[in-house]
Amino acid sequence: MVGMSLLKSAAAFAARLSLPKSGSTAANLLTRTIPRTDKVAVRWGHGKKMFVIKPSDYYDRRFLRLVQYYVLLTGIPVAILITGVNIFIGEAELAEIPEGYEPEHWEYYKHPITRWIARNLYDSPVKDYEKMMAAVQIEKEKADMRITQLEARREMRHAGDGPWFQIPTLNKELIDSSPKAKPDH
Amino acid sequence: MPNDYDKGAYPEPPRQTPVIDKQTALPNPALILSQVFYYTVDLPVTTFRDAVDSIRSKNKQVYYHQKFRRVPDLTECQEGDYVCYYEAEMQWRRDYKVDQEIVKVIQERMRACHQREGASYEQNCAKEIQQFNEVTKNFMSRYGDLGAYASGRKCLMKQKERMLAAQAQSA
Repeated sequence: MVGMSLLKSAAAFAARLSLPKSGSTAANLLTRTIPRTDKVAVRWGHGKKMFVIKPSDYYDRRFLRLVQYYVLLTGIPVAILITGVNIFIGEAELAEIPEGYEPEHWEYYKHPITRWIARNLYDSPVKDYEKMMAAVQIEKEKADMRITQLEARREMRHAGDGPWFQIPTLNKELIDSSPKAKPDH
Repeated sequence: MPNDYDKGAYPEPPRQTPVIDKQTALPNPALILSQVFYYTVDLPVTTFRDAVDSIRSKNKQVYYHQKFRRVPDLTECQEGDYVCYYEAEMQWRRDYKVDQEIVKVIQERMRACHQREGASYEQNCAKEIQQFNEVTKNFMSRYGDLGAYASGRKCLMKQKERMLAAQAQSA
């Protein structure tokens, strides 16, 4: 064993010293298992990738996964609801108003979800109209009252016979106008 | 199926399909394509629509167009009667929307006529084009250039200006 390895290393040494041509069989026989590292062709690029180095995409993929999850959490029930409403209930059809019938305010809309919202969540447009008219009336009355107040102030200040703009003075009955002993009192 | 469009408003020209006079033994590709389209697209879509309609027909609902009462105009309101102003303003806004839709309908008719006639639309659609021009001229003279904050008062003032200009022109 030891002799064989000694022989092999001696043959390798001899082969490395002499530069064997490609056709020489003696050198090939002895040095077949020992590759020459200075003349091997090295090829990069189209071999199989054994170790790809790139930065971590764990955080990006985690973000996208969480976005999908939270969007679909309410998105899927809403989509199922809307599909079910459209298939099972369906939109309303236009019809003439029958004689003597006053339609409810939600019966003026087409889609069933809009009708539901108008029936349960919103006030009727008639009520909104009346609310606005009430607000306008209140503001009008406030403006009228302010104008009359200003006019009353002006008149009372000018004429002086009203309850406002009274300047309190001393009681005139306290003035003693009887003749005094000394002239300066 | 939904209602077809109003045939009176958008009249179709008379059909000019020629009599089929087949003189070759070769198959007609147009016929084959129409059959393919029918079996792959038309039939599945129609059956799906009929299925959905049969489910929907149990919960039929109707909706109506609202009719509004006429209220006194801005010119018939007392000065300082803000409630009357509000009602007149709302009525004017509803009328503005109605006028916009009228213009859209007339425009749609002219475009449909243009599409039908093709290259000879100027001659064949003269009535629709003249109607559209008249309607848009009137709309612009009444509501044009009022802007985004248009109101009944501004429209009334514009009408006053128009009347003054007409009087100045006629005098």
